[in-house]
Amino acid sequence: MTDIDKQFFGKPANSKVNLSVEQGEIHALLGENGAGKTTLMNILYGLYQSDGGSIELSGEPVTIRNPKDAIGYRIGMVHQHFHLVPTLSVSENITLGLRNPGHPFVKRRQLNREIRALSERYNLAVDPCALVKNLSVGQQQRVEIIKVLYRRANLLILDEPTAVLTPGEVESLFEVLRTLRAEGHSVIIITHHIGEVLSLTDRITVLRNGYNAGEVETARTTEEELSSLMIGRPLQQELPERPPVTDTERALVLDGITSEDGRLGPLSLTVPSGSIVAVAGVDGNGQKELAEMILGMARPASGTITLDSRELNRLSVRQRKDLGIGYISDDRLLDSLVLDMDLRENLLLSLYRNRKFRHHHLLDRKALETEAQKAVSEYGIKTASLDTAVRYLSGGNQQKLILARELEGNPRLVIASQCTRGLDIGSSEEVHTVLRNLRDQGCSVLLISSDLEEILKLGDRIAVMHKGRIVDVLENRDIDLTYMGLLMAGSGTERRQA
Amino acid sequence: MRRTIRTSLSFLLVALTVGGVSLLLIVMVGSSIPKALASFFNGILGSSYAFSEVLVRATPLTLAALGVSVGFRTGFINIGAEGQIYLGAIAVTALGMYAPSIPAPLMIILAMLAGFIAGGLWALIPGLLKAKFGLSEIINTIMLNYIAINLVGILVRTVLRDPSYPYPMSPTLPPSTYLPMLMTPTRLHAGFILALVAALAVYILMFRTPSGFCMRAVGLNPRASRCSGISVFRNLVLCALISGGLSGVAGVSEIAGLHHRLLEGISPSYGYLAIVVSLLGKNHPIGIILSAIGIAALQVGSMAMQRASGVPTSIAYIIMGLLVIMILARRELSGKER
Amino acid sequence: MDTPVIILITTFLAATVRMATPIALAGLGESISERAGISNIGLEAIMLSGSYFSFWAVFQSGSILIGILAGLAGGIAASTIHALLSIRCKADQTIAGLALNFLFLGLTSFLFLMQFGKITTIPSIAVIPRLRIPVLSRIPVLGEALFNQDPFVYVLIIAATVLMVIFYRTEWGVILHAVGENPGAADTAGIRVYATRYIAAIANGALGGLGGAYLSMVKLGFFQENLTSGKGYIALVVVILGRRNPFGVVLASLVIGSAEALQIRLQTLGSAIPSQAFTMLPYVVTILVLLFSFSKNTDPAALGLPYERNKR
Repeated sequence: MTDIDKQFFGKPANSKVNLSVEQGEIHALLGENGAGKTTLMNILYGLYQSDGGSIELSGEPVTIRNPKDAIGYRIGMVHQHFHLVPTLSVSENITLGLRNPGHPFVKRRQLNREIRALSERYNLAVDPCALVKNLSVGQQQRVEIIKVLYRRANLLILDEPTAVLTPGEVESLFEVLRTLRAEGHSVIIITHHIGEVLSLTDRITVLRNGYNAGEVETARTTEEELSSLMIGRPLQQELPERPPVTDTERALVLDGITSEDGRLGPLSLTVPSGSIVAVAGVDGNGQKELAEMILGMARPASGTITLDSRELNRLSVRQRKDLGIGYISDDRLLDSLVLDMDLRENLLLSLYRNRKFRHHHLLDRKALETEAQKAVSEYGIKTASLDTAVRYLSGGNQQKLILARELEGNPRLVIASQCTRGLDIGSSEEVHTVLRNLRDQGCSVLLISSDLEEILKLGDRIAVMHKGRIVDVLENRDIDLTYMGLLMAGSGTERRQA
Repeated sequence: MRRTIRTSLSFLLVALTVGGVSLLLIVMVGSSIPKALASFFNGILGSSYAFSEVLVRATPLTLAALGVSVGFRTGFINIGAEGQIYLGAIAVTALGMYAPSIPAPLMIILAMLAGFIAGGLWALIPGLLKAKFGLSEIINTIMLNYIAINLVGILVRTVLRDPSYPYPMSPTLPPSTYLPMLMTPTRLHAGFILALVAALAVYILMFRTPSGFCMRAVGLNPRASRCSGISVFRNLVLCALISGGLSGVAGVSEIAGLHHRLLEGISPSYGYLAIVVSLLGKNHPIGIILSAIGIAALQVGSMAMQRASGVPTSIAYIIMGLLVIMILARRELSGKER
Repeated sequence: MDTPVIILITTFLAATVRMATPIALAGLGESISERAGISNIGLEAIMLSGSYFSFWAVFQSGSILIGILAGLAGGIAASTIHALLSIRCKADQTIAGLALNFLFLGLTSFLFLMQFGKITTIPSIAVIPRLRIPVLSRIPVLGEALFNQDPFVYVLIIAATVLMVIFYRTEWGVILHAVGENPGAADTAGIRVYATRYIAAIANGALGGLGGAYLSMVKLGFFQENLTSGKGYIALVVVILGRRNPFGVVLASLVIGSAEALQIRLQTLGSAIPSQAFTMLPYVVTILVLLFSFSKNTDPAALGLPYERNKR
């Protein structure tokens, strides 16, 4: 792939990206969230069209307009979210949509034999008769791979395949990929895990912010080099004078919590009052589950959550919010807003319980109106009128509305997840100031972000999260960014002395 | 601007199609259009009696549609209004038959309450099934309709039966259960006022109270509601009670204001019509009142049209069905916007 | 030679089958549709349409075959409108179904009155006679009930068997299932989701139209306003009771048919129990069944949801 460009709504996702993969090679496409890896591969698989650049296969230029074309060129892709029908069997899923011999009557036994032979050849043990919904995630992934191989793919693209696997399953997957390589297939694996990349691949292309950041041979590179390529140079920034954090009795304490599906924990973390604890980590490592568990949407399978020595485990969301917990979700459209209601009513989502807005069991519209005006002016929300449905606000303004609502009234604890996503620099600065003010007033702030800049700017302490656990907590003083990058990418390097 | 023009045009298209089809049907019957239309409008506006008939029919439609709308707004699709109406009717009949000595004003209040509770409980069954187990309320409410209708059939032949009559029906209820008449000698009774009051109450509830707000939020975005601490379970249950209760009151109103006894078939599909009314009225009390009057007018007018011009009353159903279908298809017809 | 008890049971079973047939036919059609993800409440419309148009066709032409074809066409017309609304206009399928029920109720009544309103006697057509199947009908009790019936019953048996095969043994069944469970996955696999749903809707209309035709051509020999009077809604119930499995649907229809047959028998015997108690039974049974099997929600995951490609 040469000089690939791709823009979405004016924001470049890929800029002049180059990628070349040899036959019989396992090639890693490495980078952080939003670096442009998936976009590039979607172009290769025909889901998107590039705005510029060209693609060649075996020296011949090709045009790939849709996945059917890609499959025709023997390219197969295994996505992060599987495209399987859970209530059908493995075999039925694999042969779905294909004209099998004897159509419409399916010679299931013959197909099962073919599938079993295929799976044995590639070390992908799977029972063709099993129902997909009864399989583990790792097994489901194998079904997806067999699906791709069944359609005779030569080049396989796997998007973040290890994100959903346990360490044991990861090893099995790697065995499979090595077998594929031995059989002459080429594999592109999209990932952000440096350690896995080093143990598996032949060559690595690193993307950052949509650009090529580097292309190296695995045998000749190191973790440090990859980490710095991925993250870039540590940015010079002025860290304002931070009052030293003194551990007081008042804190949010998570002790050994785990989630029922195993995606989270065991996890322990303390967020003292008057401090910002920033959770750094690549999206999808359990951050959402963590936030929701503190909020009360899910109960921990084990462990306790306490706020100021008061146990929260059994409290409902409403009770926790009454204690003064504000939640800024990373998915505001789904979690925080009712799109068809106007600005005032969206404010009401959190405030309806508040006595201030009730007047003899009726909603006090005047008070609500005043509050809405206050929110608009304080946070600079740009809207045509207070009556417009929130659906029509820009993303940034929607976010400001959510902040106005959740941070109102001196909350005791604020969980802020990707809170400046979609905001321009000016608005982001404002949000940061607000969070700092909250902190200075004694609030405990749990900041979850995949934006390293933001984490470094705001966090008094930085907790690095990986695969559902906190791997380390660092004081925000003279941070070794490379080390942090390694932690985020799951590397088990020992802590170096500063 | 373009969007508004296209929207207006699409509404115009709907109106023209429905109107055109109606006229076509009139012609097919062999009737003259002017005569048929004249008899239609005469039937609804020609006399105070005619207009009162429209309001009489609009009363149960309004009450039941208010109930349906509360359901819709909370995400509870209540197809069971028909059954809930019958439950309300059963309640007032039982009250009137087995406690006839309760004095007048108290009796009516108790009757309304009993009807509300009966209808509410009837809707609570599918409501709980949905809130607790996520079972679809659509089929459940339909089945409860049939159970309710059959229940009436059983009751009027047994415990609620008037032994002096050969036909299965309850005895005439004591005058203490009667709703006051509004406009003698028409059939218009205080149930109409009740419907208007209920509309006001529903408006206040849904748009001016915290509970109503929570219900609407649950209907529009259950997940965001949960994240804000609003309980989806509680609101679904509350909504089911209110939704069924209002239809139950509609049943009481029909018995207490109109029939004064329980018999089979007192509801000519009012429960199902109420769904159409609520839809056309955009689930808003004011819209509901207007569309209830509209649908009632359609029915009354078509009956007059049949008497005078021989156009079958089934034309009313055709128009209604066509109207809803065109509205459903309207987005597509005006060129996809979103 | 048969004892009175045996005769009683046999006639009862035969009546049950007759009651069950129209509901079962419509139920089979709806189960095809729901497997593909379309929930069509408008079965009343389909059955009324099939019932009226088949009647009208036989009356005009005297030919049973044309009557059946007209019944099929009538049912398909109704289900196609619903399909267009659900698939193309992405409208709410429940409301579309309800509106169609009103529309076709009015339409069939209107057309009927227009055609036959002036006539004082009820217009009737010759009822399709029973067809006795040799050998099989000699089986005691069951033979008489199952194999000495009108052709529609045989069509039902064949249709149910064919559908069992299609659903569970062919690729078509897999495709249908995939489209109803995870249309996104089906789409990615190259299956034409919309086309599949349209075909399912047409099949629904055909079978439901046949069920309606049964009412006018076999059971009654005439048509009147609102002939189906709720049978369409009952068909929805058998779909759920039978869990969208063709044999299950037929079985559930037999249960309901038996309640109806029992009710009629009791009426002729002058029983004191109101017939409504029996008419009520199937619904109560269904709710109880639903209550106790709530853990197994076997609805296709995408049932009732319009499919939009590229909905990221």
